Amino acid sequence: MKVGMISFAHLHAESYASALKALPGVEFVGIYDEDNNRGKEWAEKLSVMHFEKLEDLLKTDIEAVIICSTNADHCRYTVAAAEAGKHVLVEKPIATNFADAHKMIETCKKQNVKLQIAFPVRYLPSVLETKRIVESGQLGRILAIKATNHGSMPGGWFTEKDKAGGGAVIDHTVHVVDIIRWMLGLEFKEIYAEYDRLIHNIETEDCGLLTMELTNNVFATLDTSWNRPSAYPTWGDVTMTIIGTNGVLELDGFSQKFDIYNNDVKKAQWEYFGGDMDYLLVKDFLEACKNNTPVKVTGEDGLKTLEVALAAYESGKRHQPVAIEEIRN
Amino acid sequence: MKPGLKVGLIGGGTMGSTHAEAYRVLDNAELVAVADLVPERAQAIAARTGATVRSATEIIADPSIDVIDVCVPTYLHRDFVVAAADAGKHVFCEKPMARSLKEAEEMKAACDKAGVRLGIGHVVRFFPEYIRAYNKVHSGVVGKVAVVRCTRGGFALPTAWKDWYANYEYSGGLVLDMIIHDFDYLRWLLGPVERVFAKGTRGRDYNRLEYALVSLKFKSGAIAHVEGSWVNSGGFHTRFEIAGEKGLIDYDSRKANPITLTVNKAGGAPGVPVPASAWAESPYTTEIRNFINVLDGKEGQIVDGNEGYESLKVALAALESIETGKPVNL
Repeated sequence: MKVGMISFAHLHAESYASALKALPGVEFVGIYDEDNNRGKEWAEKLSVMHFEKLEDLLKTDIEAVIICSTNADHCRYTVAAAEAGKHVLVEKPIATNFADAHKMIETCKKQNVKLQIAFPVRYLPSVLETKRIVESGQLGRILAIKATNHGSMPGGWFTEKDKAGGGAVIDHTVHVVDIIRWMLGLEFKEIYAEYDRLIHNIETEDCGLLTMELTNNVFATLDTSWNRPSAYPTWGDVTMTIIGTNGVLELDGFSQKFDIYNNDVKKAQWEYFGGDMDYLLVKDFLEACKNNTPVKVTGEDGLKTLEVALAAYESGKRHQPVAIEEIRN
Repeated sequence: MKPGLKVGLIGGGTMGSTHAEAYRVLDNAELVAVADLVPERAQAIAARTGATVRSATEIIADPSIDVIDVCVPTYLHRDFVVAAADAGKHVFCEKPMARSLKEAEEMKAACDKAGVRLGIGHVVRFFPEYIRAYNKVHSGVVGKVAVVRCTRGGFALPTAWKDWYANYEYSGGLVLDMIIHDFDYLRWLLGPVERVFAKGTRGRDYNRLEYALVSLKFKSGAIAHVEGSWVNSGGFHTRFEIAGEKGLIDYDSRKANPITLTVNKAGGAPGVPVPASAWAESPYTTEIRNFINVLDGKEGQIVDGNEGYESLKVALAALESIETGKPVNL
């Protein structure tokens, strides 16, 4: 199967590119990037073709594209690829507003191409095992969830509101919200958020704390803060504590690591050795394209997570909880 | 008989027994009398300390007693503290200060009127890890504080006299009884609270599994998250993470155990590992020492009635938010 990539604006592009190079039966054809120099550099580094024009990449016989642009560009690239008949794997969040998200979903449906949102955390082996345990019923009925998706401050366009749609809240709300919906079959009803720019001299918020009401009388909190200092041993975390009537499960998604102390670096480092979720994500998406089976994470899934992030922004403005229904349209 | 202040203890449960040990260590105070509705509990403390078992009324009326230590269930604090103050005694009272702000105001007023000292047992301010972290933050290790996360609990609902912890009207549940420790610490660390939003299992399908998550916004700008759990997840533990402009402090009591002891049961069956603590001095002793030294004029007071009152306000705001589903502004 032949695959192309559109834009290397998002940091995850490199890891998806490695997956494309490593996957048997996959031919990574080439790259288009709105930043011509960046596109050229990556194409050379990865020994693939460089396309100066998007239409030239889309004219080739590639069957699918992976889009790692800024969040605001997701819509126009997805629509262009879908109209050229290519399946789309697009980085999260699906978009920065509902209109774009709807347009992406509708266009892909109309063009009969697959649209998957890149939620790699679903493919993390520890997350899959957590899902298995929850579904086994060992925890009893779920009462509450405490979650974190911390990170370091990514910089660049991630901190520009018009390109990213917001800061730490939109960036780090969607992963865990997706996991909770998928793992527990729950939907989000009402969101309260505290967020602020407290650490970095940037345009957007860098700290966020969401308190959420879910279906089945479940409540949850999620810390989305970009507050890992540069001295921290790793980039961040995904953690969940799930409280059930019959037990408690604590998940630390990236805890399969060892510690490194090296005099040249002057700080402790954590070396993760768990499963490569990005590779598993790309592999699964391409298999769905090849076998014409449903993708695991749909555009609608992406839209549901965007609803929570946008409700959080509205709550932060009002300092009141905001119902998802209210902001939906 | 030791020189120094004479102390009468009212309430010989878990906290009363712990305080009694502190007076044994101090050389400027002596526990002379203990009262409890369960005679065996008072007798056990008396046997260990040399104190006399008496009724609470007798202890408060005894002119030779200088200090009353109140370790009764929360909803009874007001009655004993006011009676002790009216009798001219200094009072040390377990946390939370009271079950309502009105009760706490009456306690403060009674102590002010009598000209006696009131101390509240927010002992977390005397735990070495919390003091160290406070000092590190104030020496600038993390820069200006941005987000703080605190955890407390991980054990099943405590059982005590008449199961009073389970009675919301008596104890206020874990938000008022337990994570008020974290609210008090956070206020000490970050200053006044602006807004509280909270959710908990109480009022849903509680069934003795109490769990609460609290979101706080401070006037300094900082955001905090407090988790309180009376759901068993392997036993009592505490955590805090303090992230700021240039650094982060991370503490987990489960990773700071100097000793892990595993003793096989009879017949070679594997036992349950139990962490043992190793303090140079119990923080409960340090806390009582501070109050006694305040009365002796040797130290400044760490947690007085006003501090206890402000922390009570935050806990009651969290309970109100859980009940109404709305944020509460302070």
